[in-house]
Order: sequence, then C-alpha cells, then structure tokens
Amino acid sequence: MNTQARCLSLGLLFVLAVSVQAHAEDRIDYNRDIRPILSDNCYKCHGPDGNQRQADLRLDVASIVGHRLESGGTLIKAQAASESVLFERVSSKDPDELMPPRDSGNSLTAREIVLLKRWIDQGAEWKGHWAFQTPVQPVVPGVERKGWQANPIDAFVLARLQQKKLEPSPEATRETLIRRVSYDLTGLPPSLDEIDHFLADQKPGAYARVVDRLLKSSRYGEHMSRFWLDAARYGDTHGLHLDNERSIWPYRDWVIKAFNANMPFDQFTVEQLAGDLLPNPSLSQLVATGFNRCNVTTSEGGAIADEYRFKYGVDRVETTSTVWLGLTMGCVVCHEHKFDPIPLEEFYKFLAYFNSLTEKAMDGNALLPPPTLKVPSIEQEKELAQLRTAIGRTRSTIDKLLEAVAYKDPGQQKEVKSAKARQVVWIDDTPPAGAKVMASGDGGTRWAWVGGSDHPVHSGKLSSYRKSAGLGQHFFTGAKNGLTVAAGDTLFAWVHLDIVDPPQQIMLQFNDGTWEHRAYWGKDRIPWGRANTVSRRRRGDLPARGEWVRLEVPVEQVGLKPGAVINGWAFTQFGGAVHWDTAGIVTTNGLGQRRWESLAAWTSSVAKSSAGIPKDVATAARTASDKRSAQQAQLLRRHFLVHACRQTTRTFAPRLKSLAAAEARVVAINKALPSTLVMRDMPKPRQTYVLKRGQYDMPDKTRPVQPDVPAMLPRPRGDAPPNRLGLARWLVQPDHPLTSRVTVNRIWQQYFGTGLVRTAEDFGSQGEWPSHPRLIDWLATEFIRSGWDVKALHRLIVSSATYRQSSAFRAQGQEADPENRLLWRGPRYRLDAEMLRDGALAIGGLLVERLGGKSVRPYQPDGLWRAVGYSGSNTVKFVQDHGQALYRRSMYTFWKRTAAPPTMLTFDAPSRESCVVRRARTNTPLQALLLLNDVQFVESARGMAQRILSEPGSDKHRLVRGFRMVTARRPRPAELRILAETLALHRREYRDNPEAATRLLAVGEAKISKGVDAGELAAWTVLSNLLLNLDEAISKS
Amino acid sequence: MDRRVEHPFAQNRRQFFGRTATGIGTAALAALLQQDSSAAAVPSINGGGPASQDLGVMGSTHFSGKAKRVIYLFMSGAPSQIDLLDPKPKMKAMFDKDLPDSIRQGQRLTTMTSGQKRFPIAPSIYKFQKRGECGTEISELFPHIGSIADDLAVVRTVHTEAINHDPAITYIQTGAQQPGRPSMGAWLSYGLGRSNQNLPGFVVLHSTWSAKRDAQALYTRLWGAGFLPSRHQGVALRSAGDPVLYLSNPAGVSAATRRQTLDALAKLNQRQFQAVGDPEINARIAQYEMAYRMQTSVPELTDLSTEPKHILDLYGPDVKKPGTFAANCLLARRLAERNVRFVQVFIRGWDQHGSLPRDITMMARDVDQGAAALVKDLKQRGMLDDTLVIWGGEFGRTIYCQGKLTAGNYGRDHHPRCFSVWMAGGGIKPGIVYGKSDDFCYNIVENPVHIHDLNASVLHCLGIDHERLTFRFQGRDFRLTDVHGKVIGDLLA
Repeated sequence: MNTQARCLSLGLLFVLAVSVQAHAEDRIDYNRDIRPILSDNCYKCHGPDGNQRQADLRLDVASIVGHRLESGGTLIKAQAASESVLFERVSSKDPDELMPPRDSGNSLTAREIVLLKRWIDQGAEWKGHWAFQTPVQPVVPGVERKGWQANPIDAFVLARLQQKKLEPSPEATRETLIRRVSYDLTGLPPSLDEIDHFLADQKPGAYARVVDRLLKSSRYGEHMSRFWLDAARYGDTHGLHLDNERSIWPYRDWVIKAFNANMPFDQFTVEQLAGDLLPNPSLSQLVATGFNRCNVTTSEGGAIADEYRFKYGVDRVETTSTVWLGLTMGCVVCHEHKFDPIPLEEFYKFLAYFNSLTEKAMDGNALLPPPTLKVPSIEQEKELAQLRTAIGRTRSTIDKLLEAVAYKDPGQQKEVKSAKARQVVWIDDTPPAGAKVMASGDGGTRWAWVGGSDHPVHSGKLSSYRKSAGLGQHFFTGAKNGLTVAAGDTLFAWVHLDIVDPPQQIMLQFNDGTWEHRAYWGKDRIPWGRANTVSRRRRGDLPARGEWVRLEVPVEQVGLKPGAVINGWAFTQFGGAVHWDTAGIVTTNGLGQRRWESLAAWTSSVAKSSAGIPKDVATAARTASDKRSAQQAQLLRRHFLVHACRQTTRTFAPRLKSLAAAEARVVAINKALPSTLVMRDMPKPRQTYVLKRGQYDMPDKTRPVQPDVPAMLPRPRGDAPPNRLGLARWLVQPDHPLTSRVTVNRIWQQYFGTGLVRTAEDFGSQGEWPSHPRLIDWLATEFIRSGWDVKALHRLIVSSATYRQSSAFRAQGQEADPENRLLWRGPRYRLDAEMLRDGALAIGGLLVERLGGKSVRPYQPDGLWRAVGYSGSNTVKFVQDHGQALYRRSMYTFWKRTAAPPTMLTFDAPSRESCVVRRARTNTPLQALLLLNDVQFVESARGMAQRILSEPGSDKHRLVRGFRMVTARRPRPAELRILAETLALHRREYRDNPEAATRLLAVGEAKISKGVDAGELAAWTVLSNLLLNLDEAISKS
Repeated sequence: MDRRVEHPFAQNRRQFFGRTATGIGTAALAALLQQDSSAAAVPSINGGGPASQDLGVMGSTHFSGKAKRVIYLFMSGAPSQIDLLDPKPKMKAMFDKDLPDSIRQGQRLTTMTSGQKRFPIAPSIYKFQKRGECGTEISELFPHIGSIADDLAVVRTVHTEAINHDPAITYIQTGAQQPGRPSMGAWLSYGLGRSNQNLPGFVVLHSTWSAKRDAQALYTRLWGAGFLPSRHQGVALRSAGDPVLYLSNPAGVSAATRRQTLDALAKLNQRQFQAVGDPEINARIAQYEMAYRMQTSVPELTDLSTEPKHILDLYGPDVKKPGTFAANCLLARRLAERNVRFVQVFIRGWDQHGSLPRDITMMARDVDQGAAALVKDLKQRGMLDDTLVIWGGEFGRTIYCQGKLTAGNYGRDHHPRCFSVWMAGGGIKPGIVYGKSDDFCYNIVENPVHIHDLNASVLHCLGIDHERLTFRFQGRDFRLTDVHGKVIGDLLA
C-alpha cells in the first residue's frame, strides 16, 4: 500500500474515530455493529454461497479471526487492526487494493471502517449470528424508577432509555388507555359504558380488570386472527387465473377458536403444519392444516402440473420459514443463500416436507379441490352442542319417569297390531335368511362382518366393512323373506365413513328381480345404470365422516313399485374405507307390529333376533338370565318399558318424539356441513431432488434429498419423524432459537407498530439488529417458560408501564429517537384497515357481533370485479349481500385475491396472494376520500347520529357524547366550540334544503329510527362524519 | 410549560396554518411539504411519512433520461405478431405443412396443443406493406399505426419463459411469475415520486373491447405495490361511476358542506397536534386538503368536452364512448400533459386460440386509430420526446395452427419464444426494426430481447439504472428486473 495514502486515510480515520468514540456508549458488538457491515458489503463474494465465493475466502465464519492468508499476513489479528489485512484492504486508497472493489457497487462508509478498526482493536470477538443461538433468559436489569415500572419489560426498556439519558413518559390518561387497549386486544373501540365503568373504578387493579375482560371477549380471537390470516395468506378465491371461489373459511373459524381458547402456540403450530399426521387426528386438527392450503393455485388451461406443484411447494417453504423462522428461504430456490448459511441442498430438503401432498396441482377451478373435509361451522357446532344438551336432558327426564314406573311382568304375551309406518330392520349383524352373499371389485371377495373395539358398530354386535382402492361392493340376492314395498316407504341403511380415508362415492342397490334400482352419494364414479334415473339416482353429497349417518332412499326415487319384493341388496363404494350397518325399510305394509306386555317374553325374543336393538341391550338379552349383571337387567327393563311395553310406551312417546326430533336435527346439520381444504400426504412419499437452477423440469437425479431442517439450526429431537410432524415439533422444541423470538416480535409489533426487530420477516444476517436484544430474549424465553401461553404474553405486554405510557411527543425524545425505537413514549399511529371499518360500525351501532362463518359481501363500488375478472370466473360478478351481512367485522369480508376489497387495500392490507407479516402504514388522499364518502362510513356516521339523538339533552351534552364515542375523552372547550359552530352551519344547510337531507339519509340500507327530524339527523350525520374523520379517531394514541 | 418550547414543530404549524378564507393556503401547504427543484409544488398526492415530500427514494434520476413519463398500451391476451408486426412471406408456400421438428426442437407447449397430432403451419392471411420512409413492414390490420412507422421502434424478438397468461402477464409487469412483487408503475412511483400534486402518479385505465367476451382476466397485482408501501400502487381511473373510488361526496352533501367539514376538521386536528405534537397529524391534514382538490382536478381531467373537434377526429369515432381504447388514449394524453408519470392502458381480448381472423380484425380496429392518434397527438404537442409510448402483450402466438386449419380460418396457441412490441418517443430510436426471428417466427435469429431487457431499457429511458432501483425486503435487495436484464443500447436514440 502506498504509504502516503495510508497516512492520509489513517489521519482521516483518527478524526472519525474520535467522533464515533464520543457517541459510543459501550463495546463494539460483532452482531450489532460488524456483521451487518460484512453482510451488506462482503458476503456476496465472501459469504455462504460457495459458487460465488472469490479467492476461497469466507467472511461469515468464526475462523476469520486469526486466519492466515496464502498471500501471507493475517486476515484479522485480534487487538491489532493495523496488522490485519482486512482492515488494510477496506481502508486502502489504492483502487486495486480497495475492498469491496469499486465495480461491486458497494463501499464502506468512513464510520463503518472505524467500527471495524475498533472491533479488531478491542479483541475481535466473533459471535455466531445472534438469532441462530438458543436464547438464554437474561437477568432483568436492576434499574429502578419509582412508581413507574410494572413488570420486567419495563426494566429492559428503562435500562436502554437511561443509557441514552432519556426519560420515559408518564402513564396515559384512563380514557386514552382504555381506548388503546380495547383496540389492541379486540380491534374495537370501548363503549361509553365501558369507559365510564373504568373511570369510576377507583379500586386497585381496575386496569387489570379491563384487560381480563377484553382477553375473555370473543372479539379478541377475531382480532388476533386477522394478523395471523395475513401471514397465512388467507383468501376466499384461488388467486390465480380464473380466481374462482374456494371454501376454506372453516380454517379461519379454527384460527378464531384457537385464539379464543388460548391454544398454546406450540400446539397451534403443530396442528396447522401437521395436524393430519398426529395420531388419530380430531376433526379440528385436520381443519387446522388448512394453513398450508391457503396458497394461491391455478387451473389455467395449458398450465403444466409439475411446474405448479413446485411453485406451491416453494410458497409453502417461504411461508413456513417466514412465519416461524423469520428466514427467507425462497431465494435459495436457484442459488446458495448469499447471506445466511442455507445451502441449496438444504432448501430442497425443507421443500421435501411439503412435496408428498395428495393435492392435484390443477385446482380444477373448484370450490373444494381435494383433499377436503366436512366440518361444522362455529354456529353449527354451537347448535350441535345445544342439541346434545337437549338430548341429554330428555334422556334424564325419561330416566326420572322410568323410576316412577311400577312394572310387574304379567308373564303372558298379547300381540297388538298397528297400522302406522314402522321400521323393519332387515340386515343387522347378518344378511337375511337364504341370502346368497357375494362380493366383487376391490377390497376382497368376502363380506366382512367386524366388531369389537377396533370398529364402529351402530346396532347389534357387528357392522360390515370394506376398504377399497376403487370400485368395491358386497351384496346378496335370493333372501327368503323379501321386503314387500308399499307406496311411500323408505329404505334406509346406516353408514360410517372413515375420517382419514373416505370414499369418493357410496351406493345402495336394490334387487327386485333386476338391479336397476340404485341410489348414490358423492361423486359419480360408478358407471352402472343411467344418470339421473331410477337406475342411478344421486341422493346428495357424501355424509359427514367419522360418525354413523342414516342414509334414506324413498322407494319412488329408485323406481320400486308398491308390491315389489326386494330380495337382494348391495353396499357399493368407490375408494375409501366404509362401515355399513342396520339396513331395512320404514314401511306401512301391514305385517303388524308386535307390542309386548311381558319383559321376559320380550327378552327371549330379542335374544333370538336382535335386529334393530342397540348392541348393549342385545348382548344383555343374550346373556343367560342367571349370568346377567344387575346393570344388564336394568338395561333390559329400561329398554322394554320405553320402547316395547304396551302399557308404558305411551308415557315415553312424547319424550321419544322430541328426542327423535333433536336427533333428526343433528342429522340435518351434519348433512349441511360446509367443507374446507386440508392437507394429506401420499402413503409413499414422493422423492425430492435438487432442481438445477430451480427449474421444475430439471431434477438432478444424482442429488436425491430427504426431508430435513437447515443444518445451522439445532437438530430435531431423536424421535422426530422425517415428515411435517417432525418439522412442526422441531419448530417448537425449547432449544429452537427462532420460533419464540420471531413470534414474540410479531406480537410486540402489534402493540408498538414496529417490532423489537424491525424486519419482522427477516431474522437472518440481513435482518435488523434488535432495538432491545435482551428484552426480546427475555420475552422469548418467558413465552416458552409459560407453556407458549399467548394470552399471558399479550397480558404481559399491555400491563407494562412501557405500553401504558402517554404517547404525547416530547422534544427531547423526538430529537434523540424520532422513531421511538427506544420507547420513550407510548404508541401513536393510524389504525389498521379492519379497525377503522369495524370501529366505525361499532360506533354507529351497526356492528353485528356474530362469530365465524362464511365470508360476506358488504358494499363495494360497482364494477371492480367485472373490470378485471375472466368472464367465465364465478367471481366476475359482484353481488352485494344485504341485512346483517353488511355489518359483520371486516375479517369476514369476502376476499377475492385478484381484486381485494378496496376498503382494505386502501389502508395497506396486503392482497393475500403471499405471506405478509408486516404491513406498511401510509397516509394518502384516497384514504381521506374513502373515510369521508364510502357508503359504509357515511351509514356509520348516520347510525352514530341516531345514537346521539336517541338520548335527550342539550347540544353540548350531545356533542360531548359524540366526541367521547370516537375518542373516549371529553372535548376541550375550544374543540367543543368548533363543533358547535359547525353543527349550526350544518343545521342551517339542511333546514334550508330538506331535499338534501332526505338524500343523505337514504345512503346505506340500515333502517332509520322513526320520529327523528330529517334535517336534524342530517346535520348530526355530517357532524358525526367529521368526528369519525378526526386524526384522533383514526389513530391509536 | 410553553407548548411552543415543548414542541419544535410549532414553528411549522404556524407557517402551515396561515389560512385563507377557503381553507388552508396552497402555498403554506406546499411550504410544509417542501418543493420540487423544478419549482412545481409537489406535496404528495399519496402522502408518506412525517416528512411527506414526494421526490421518490432516488431524489433525482441516476442519469439524465429522455423520458419523463411512460404510457404503456397493454394488449392483454397476447396479440399475434405474425398477423400484425412480423411478416413471414415464406410461410405462404408452407400452408398446412408440418412445422419441422428442427424448428420446434422439442420445446414445451401448453397442454392445449401438446396433445395435437400435427402442427400445421398457418400463414397469415393479412398483407404487409412497407410504411413510411423507414419502410418498416406493418400489417394491413394496422393502417393507422402504419402511418406512424417513422416514429416507431418495432422490436420483433422479445421473449419470455412463461407460457400461460397469468404467470406471463405477472412476469412482464412485475419481473416475477408468482404474485408478490411491485409492478413497473409502482417501482417508478417509489423511485421517482410524482410530479403532479393533484393527481396520482400511476394511473391505470381499463378499456372495453369488441372481440369475444371471455377474455383473459387481469389482476390488481399488475398495478399493485407488492412489498412497496401501498401508496405506490396504481390508481384505476374508471369510466363509469366515480372515476377515482369514493371521489364524490355522499348524496345530499354539497361542496360547501364538505368545505365546512374540512375546515372544522383541520382546526380540530391542528389543536390535537398542539396537544400531542405528532407530525403525522400535519401530513393527515394535508392529505384531506389534497383529497378535496382531487374532487375538482379529476373531473376536470376526465372531461373530454373541452377537446376540439380535430383532436377528437384524430382519435376516431370511438373516442366519444367512455371506456373505449380510443377514449382512454386521449385520457392518457391528458394525464401525460398533467405530468402523471406512468399511465397504463389495458385492453383485453387478444387470446385468439381459434377464429383468429374474426377476432383479430375487431381487436385491431379497437386499438389502431387510438394508439396512432396518441403518438401523433403527443408529437404535435412536442411531448413525444419526453413521453415513452409502449405497445405490447405478455407473449406471442404460434405459427402453427391450433384447431382446424382452413384457407380463411385458423387459431394460434401461446408462444413465448419470440413476439413483437413497438415503442415510440421518450428516447427510443425512431423508424427502426430491432431483432430478427426465423422464417417460422418461432425462434430468434438475432438480437434477442428478454422481457427483463425490455424493462431495463424502459427504466433507462427514464434515467434509471435498473440495477440500482432496489428495495430491501426479507433481507434481499429486490428490483424490477430481478437479477437479470440488460439495456438494449441499439434501441436508444
């Protein structure tokens, strides 16, 4: 190096060194200060990517310190910058020597060079990237500020503030606090009653009680879900090409329920990533896997399946790694990661976790591209629970009535006939006498009767079972006593579809000499007969899985004429595993129905033929009377008295009727269940290969890979299976350095607008250094220690003094830390899109607080879908909903991904086409136009005006009330004066112009309360519109 | 404590609230929001952070570019270059002959024709003529565009990897086939900001079309901001209803009433600023004022009644029907006059797999006169020098026939290997043909232009180095041209 140049540069550096020194409060930290410099400027050529590496020199590893160069010299000599080649090269004045080279487009600032020098001189202590090291719970700093701190968060914040000689802010007013925490925990403003209650609560712990109330509200789960749905890229359409509707909202319901039930985050993780791979997964766990079915899909004519299967896999890797790891694995598709140590092969190993799904690459533009699952909505689930309660109650009434019955066996038997329709069970535990039993197709040549604890049985002892890869059936003909059909009769059979392996189609066939009487459910895969005729009649969708469902076939539907005698019956299926049981007819043909008087006689009859009798009752009947337990005897007596005994059945009939009605409703609900998209793996995993240059059609067959996690992170526990379940469990194992940090950071971001790590999506070496490194580690470890308790984490944050600070700006803080990264004041920024709309609806008294369910289509300007949509798409035409659907929370608004709701997009909501964990926050005139003019907001203003006018009082009283509705606080006198003046102007306007008032009040579909003066309501509507547009109204403060 | 001492912003506030009778003075507003060096006041139409000036991240261009703005006429569905811009006379003799394997080279086809037994050659039934002094050959379907041949650079060797509409159109507009990246207009808004205080910097116009109804879809992502702040997304100017969403006051709210609201709102927000000192409040007040001004400036913009007859005649009879391509071309000129940086006119209906002659005739009639008129109109106003006009689709179409081939009828499948685009003005060399495709219009013989190269060249015309306009997202510096793209120097004037 040119000596003179070096002298000059060192001279300059000396000056800079002094100035940097003056600002430095502590030691240079490799991770905070040095790694970003090297990562930004050097890693491209001297980083993890082996293909790009120059001079075989790597600067992202510990061995840089003390590394002897081939050219002689030491790269970095601890405590001696002047003897370190690295420093020499970056500070060189010789263009041929200078690093980074000029043509690289990178260069170090003088300040960065000084930092490098000081770091080397201080001993060049190297550390692995902070976020890749398992966090150890840091000691809470021993700082103190009397009467300010509320919990350990505050100690960490205070310690940083004190370093910068900044004062924290005092606690915000109660009005501000309750508004802030209500929006933050539920996405909605507090009501006036809630505000008044809090203001009046002078007992200690008032704030904690508010927090508890909010955490218990169902609105909490909705609010938390919508952040998660941005990350999950949830939408109601496929997102590509035709952009047809897709049904995956039951997954959204699942997320809401999980948050409301405070599901621990580790469970939340495992169920969404791998619920289907858990042992005996519940319905709910299967629904959870919708997370990775939310990605955009296509069925564009001409598209190539392999290409899209790969794209979907990449999307799932990107989303999973962004959400849990805070890492960007997407760029490793084509090349080695430039900044983080994730080699190409490891990307494909990660991809392999998602490469064995059964889904088809082309979604068929279908509402429900398989695999899918039927599942009750939140409301159906609630009704089912109520029905179950009612059923239980009726049963206990029956029990009580039974106790009162004094029955004595008369020992004799009399038969009574009934002309009412009755049920004849024909097939139960065995085919009818004389039947010639056969089986054909896939799934074995036997009619398998099964029972015991491994199989579901509906009645009697056994059910019949078949598992089939394609078409398979068992059947009989030639039954001796055939079923004689009467007009209006209904055939029935009970079926139980496997929860994991359901068939595509099931069919019942009846033989009265020919087999041309068929009814089926599900897809039309079995070709026999003619479609839509008695020889192949569709009776509906497949029934719910995992439970017994009664199938019914009115005889007319399959062309069985009165007098026909059924001698054969076939149970047919296409694919899947199916149990059948209890089949027969509900008939009016007059064979007569036996009514019993003697328990003993009845019991011995049941012992001989238990058709239609519950399994346990039948077993008891078959047990010899001296071997019967007291319990069994009781069971028999009970069944006899309730169902068979001539003298007592009348007492029970009405109860049985309501029981039957409730049970029928259960069946009806189960029939109407919505479906949702879920994940399932193929039985044999698909082999994954490294793809050359990321090209889907260029697998490198010499490089097959197995599912595995990036090697730079801790290994999965020994028992972790090499599939998504293993991946999910690995993510939440306690030594995982990223999941907990990334999660607490995202939650922190919800409260303060910016995460402790600003780049919430990137914790890699290009991510930002945390503002409070020890705080994020403390929160992350605390989160794990609490058992991943999400509500506890939210409570911890909102209870901190840091969160409760006033958000007023102070010159001192603004100067030292304009972005408030050190948290010298409370958060103040514009509310998110959903909070704005939901808040206006709530204030206008319009919000419909209905939990969960299918998406709705509230107001939207005409033509937005038409302008972009494919004419053949089923979402090209927007049809607005009416009534309650207009006033649901925004998270339920139908999300067409190629033309997302303008109310949301205008306020920075993402398009939901890909995973987003951090929204921008802009401030535009289009937002002003929307808040002032959109029907939804004008209608809310009118609702608000009606509410204001509904209470008697002076203008002043009413203005105060209106102001409090949007800001929670009382207006200052000057503010009140401005509002009163404006109101007077509006009053004059609408008094002089009643026609304008009428037109304004006609905006929106909500009803206007009667007896209100139109001019007065119009004036107050415009005033409310103003209040809803106040900066304070649209900001969290 | 004296609040003015407590809040250093109080100075600004005073200056700001030098109000006039009609509200906040524009001068004060502009002062607060800072001014463009070009003396035009540039408070952002779309706002921003606390310091709300809108010069874009670049502040100024990387180097001086000839183009100040772009009008992109986007032909969605992919027009047939063979019938419009790239004559293949030798194909006449090869009617219904099979496309030689040596030409196809086993390249991948869409699954729409990959099952076809034959790939018979369908020559264009349209005549090409040498037009203008430059003699560029242009199809008889484009008589008006032919008349501006001397202003055009026809690029016959644009190519892409995407073979289906959704990924291809997303690719050419955002530089990536999968959704999530910012569109070209959003990049420009981010990089260069906007230069009209009362209009958005990136405007999108959708056109009606005459060919069959089931045209390929568009997606808001094509003018979306991707991971850039959403204020950079394109604003669709609609031909029916409010031209800009929510522009009109609610029924029964007069302009005077709205002014009262805004005055009171400003006063109340000002008091709030006094109390809490958040500079974002001032930005908010400014945005509300700009919204108010847009309520005047946008209707004024879309009102074509002030255009003289000879101008309307230039654009043809369609210009009087709102939403037609011709009407949108005239609107695009008016937007260019108002210095809107990026105008994108979309028209759909070019996806002609079958009955191509019938549909292409209608589509050509839809776009020909309007597009040519736009170039002529800009030129006569001296604006073509700094306005770049681009005409093109997302890929090309095959020489071989899809479906049944007859002497007068044929269809063409998607063809990403080469297609044609024309450009005019804004630093593009006029009167040239660039690139050469083979006799089958299947492969490129010389001077390929990848869509990344095309985009890099467009940015270059605007004075932007496509490698330096970047945005860090998820730890990586992203750009419109991904990690590719080279400027095609021979295209530049």
